[in-house]
Amino acid sequence: MENSKQNHLAEEGSSEALPSLIKAITANEVAGFDSVEEHQDFNRRLKSTLVHPLSTSIFGIEAAAMENENELSKPQRTHSVSISMPPSPVAAHLQNTNRVLFGDEETVLGNDSPSSAAAAVSLQTKQAKFYSQPMPKGCALNEAITSGTSSNLPVRNPRIDKLKDKRFDSFKTWSGRLERQLSNLRGKHRESEQEPQPQHRAEFETLPVDRYFDALEGPELDTLRASEEILLPEDKKWPFLLRFPISSFGICLGVSSQAIMWKALASSASTKFLHVSPDVNLVLWLISIALVLIVAFIYALKVIFYFEAVRREYYHPIRVNFFFAPWIALLFLALGVPPSVSQTLHASLWYILMTPILFLELKIYGQWMSGGQRRLSKVANPSNHLSVVGNFVGALLGATMGLKEGPIFFFAVGLAHYTVLFVTLYQRLPTNETLPKELHPVFFLFVAAPSVASMAWARIQGSFDYGSRIAYFIALFLYFSLAVRVNFFRGFRFSLAWWAYTFPMTGAAIATIRYSDVATSLVTKALTVVLCIVATLIVSALLVTTIIHAFVLRDLFPNDIAIAISERRPKTTRRWYHRRSGSSDTKVEEYLKYSNSDSKDSEGSTNSSHKQEMSGSLHKKVERHHTHDGPEP
Amino acid sequence: MGEQVHQSPISVVIDPLPIITSANPQEPVILAAKEAASDSILTRLHAGYFRICLSFGAQVLLWKTLNEHVNDHTNSIHNIFHTHTFPSTAFFLLYWLSLCTLILLSFLYILRCIFYLRLVKAEFLHHVGVNCLFLPWISWLLLLQAIPYTKNFPCRILWWIFVVPVVILDIKIYGQWFTTEKRFLSMVANPTSQLSVMGNLVGAWSATRMGWKESGVCMFSLGLAHYLVVFITLYQRLSGASRFPAMLRPAFFLFVAAPSTASLAWSSISGSFGVPCKMLFFLSLFLFTSLICRPTLFKKSMKRFNTAWWTYSFPLTFLALASAEYAREVKGVVASGLMLILSALSVFVFLGVMIVTAANTDTLLRGNDACLSLPGTKTTNN
Repeated sequence: MENSKQNHLAEEGSSEALPSLIKAITANEVAGFDSVEEHQDFNRRLKSTLVHPLSTSIFGIEAAAMENENELSKPQRTHSVSISMPPSPVAAHLQNTNRVLFGDEETVLGNDSPSSAAAAVSLQTKQAKFYSQPMPKGCALNEAITSGTSSNLPVRNPRIDKLKDKRFDSFKTWSGRLERQLSNLRGKHRESEQEPQPQHRAEFETLPVDRYFDALEGPELDTLRASEEILLPEDKKWPFLLRFPISSFGICLGVSSQAIMWKALASSASTKFLHVSPDVNLVLWLISIALVLIVAFIYALKVIFYFEAVRREYYHPIRVNFFFAPWIALLFLALGVPPSVSQTLHASLWYILMTPILFLELKIYGQWMSGGQRRLSKVANPSNHLSVVGNFVGALLGATMGLKEGPIFFFAVGLAHYTVLFVTLYQRLPTNETLPKELHPVFFLFVAAPSVASMAWARIQGSFDYGSRIAYFIALFLYFSLAVRVNFFRGFRFSLAWWAYTFPMTGAAIATIRYSDVATSLVTKALTVVLCIVATLIVSALLVTTIIHAFVLRDLFPNDIAIAISERRPKTTRRWYHRRSGSSDTKVEEYLKYSNSDSKDSEGSTNSSHKQEMSGSLHKKVERHHTHDGPEP
Repeated sequence: MGEQVHQSPISVVIDPLPIITSANPQEPVILAAKEAASDSILTRLHAGYFRICLSFGAQVLLWKTLNEHVNDHTNSIHNIFHTHTFPSTAFFLLYWLSLCTLILLSFLYILRCIFYLRLVKAEFLHHVGVNCLFLPWISWLLLLQAIPYTKNFPCRILWWIFVVPVVILDIKIYGQWFTTEKRFLSMVANPTSQLSVMGNLVGAWSATRMGWKESGVCMFSLGLAHYLVVFITLYQRLSGASRFPAMLRPAFFLFVAAPSTASLAWSSISGSFGVPCKMLFFLSLFLFTSLICRPTLFKKSMKRFNTAWWTYSFPLTFLALASAEYAREVKGVVASGLMLILSALSVFVFLGVMIVTAANTDTLLRGNDACLSLPGTKTTNN
């Protein structure tokens, strides 16, 4: 892979690469020299808005990388240079000639002072770094550098080994300074390193949600698109904390809901014939407590040490819903508490548990409502059910504890937002980008909300009345309509988030137990048994799979690509020609294409390249450019 | 047009109607020289001004409800304040003030309909203005409700007079939502659409106060069905934020007003503040909390005074009214405290907006009210 080749090249030291680079660049420079000049000013004007600090060693590496790229794309480049310039391919040409230009500059710098410090990172080079310059495809490191988040990269070439560790600095809390503080506190003597350049950003920009859509694909938005690059090296195993996603809390959800199910099986009247022992509930409950503690501890470490990564997860349109998972898991623990441990729980516990959910809700539902880039028509996906089901679980717990008004409050809020979400997902709006085209286990989340809502309503009302039954039958219908399509659920890569998709099945089983309490018959009893067996089997299968992945395959925690996407999409020339085929040529449009805000390039090229689409997408781009400046959610 | 006769010879040929704040650049604006020259209050008085009357009417109702609360001695908190009753004179003063404002504005608007029918038509065809056309009827219905004895004949006649236009507007507008392509709900939905829903709900509420249960249920079901559709569509934000001018952001508070009104309407239909009413009230409370946690949303609209600021007042008042009903049902410290806080907040906001309006009367009367962008010549595009 070219990517690894680049990195190896970088790691071995760019000094070897430099000599050959000089030769290569000169050849190209001559070819494109004339046409480069006139675009230089344009570049500079554009670049002045997109300044990012860099260091010379980076140039060295990049130069080395480009050397490889040069050879590969040389015919392409010279070809484009020789084309006469209508305004539209200018930008495309710009890219190619920029590469040459920068190679020239950087070669000079690299030659003169390969060991020059940050001082050598002059304004000239700052201007020279053109943000939308297309990076050579395989150069992940360069992309990371140009994105500017790795502003702490040291300048040294010889420090390539340090470079590896430093690459993760951008994700660490306060760019790694916290870690250094802690190690200083511990008294470890750290070798004096080049101080990170002072131009680190005071605050990290939030990634616009479009960026996630553009860069990622897949039902869980965790697969990198082919054209994208990430900030961290793909071939190296990242630190464990960086690989630990928030969706790991799904395990807690899955196991604690099982505890509730076995509690219901043991204690409910209609399942007495099964003679289930309450010990199962006790054991599962203890296991889930342990799991919650472990996962919470690890994630707390991640929050402390890699806060930037946590932020990026928060801005991920799917992962944000998993931020509800810890609190829902705690609610499940409270619901599943074995009778031998405690008969009744204090009401204040409910208030404590619901407060974080309330705050998260205010934030996220407000984002849906106030529009902007995270409006519901755009980001709706089945994982949003996790945001909504917390309300119903809270209502259920509150009603079980005997509270009256609080459960109704959360039930009302949950119901209103569930209706909106349900309709939106059913509509499968064309503007919706996150809904997987094929069936995926995430769809089982559809079953979660109605089943828990039916139980909550039954508790609030005191009996399993018509409202609860309606909700329960909806849940059952959704369950069966997904179950008969089980064939389509094959062929997906296992991920920890799958645990979160098991709790709806368990929830449906528990709701069936409650229903069979009220409408006792052979059918309902059989249904109870079947659903409970299915839920248990699925959880067991998932447990086995998890163990296999953890210990045998050792890829339970793969590199979390989704949080490492770059802020700018690398533009390739091929894409340009494809897009440029039908559009109008204006400088404004070009500027917008290169501009800082969200780009709908993927939408334009994936949907169609009709002229209307182009003007429409341009219009949207203008809009988005404005809305991006609007109130941030 | 006739208005030119009244103007001075020095007529500046610019569009006096407000700057186009609707960010839909694809709709061309044709300046009409004729209408540009007129400068009278009638051209500037659009239906949005009735927000003032609506706020007054809602305040009147709130004071009336709080009065009843104070008289209800089973309320624990008010036992402490038993000396502090709202004086009846203040209540009547407020009522007459509201009534006069409403009569004045209605009269002016009738004049506007007579002389500037084109402008009224433009309002009707605008996706925000059409919803503001419900405001006068809601204001009248609220004031009608505030009258102590409402089951007599003249009040019933008045009710019919005010509700029939609401129903006609309903039929026209709701029908357009799913039949007329240019005015599909997905295109025109904006937070002020909830005003149409509120029109139905207030009609239902006043119907049951009159003693007509069936009409009440009918209007309520109309309102609720369309509220469901509007709520979902608005939450989806299909067409994005660009079509809704930033000056009108206070209209987001209508998210708070609509469920509160529904809660009040259903409580009067069902006779008590049952679980559905509570749920609607809680939803309204949640949305209110959500909005006040986002002050940056309203930053742009606070830069310049416009009548949309009155939209801060009446949703809060409706919420306070619903909380009063809630506190009456659920007796307790928390509920009564909530009612007191919300009522106090609503009174403060009402007084605050009134003071700001008084300070900006020149903007209101002579300047251009920039909240509703209505180039009078948009009729040609529709």
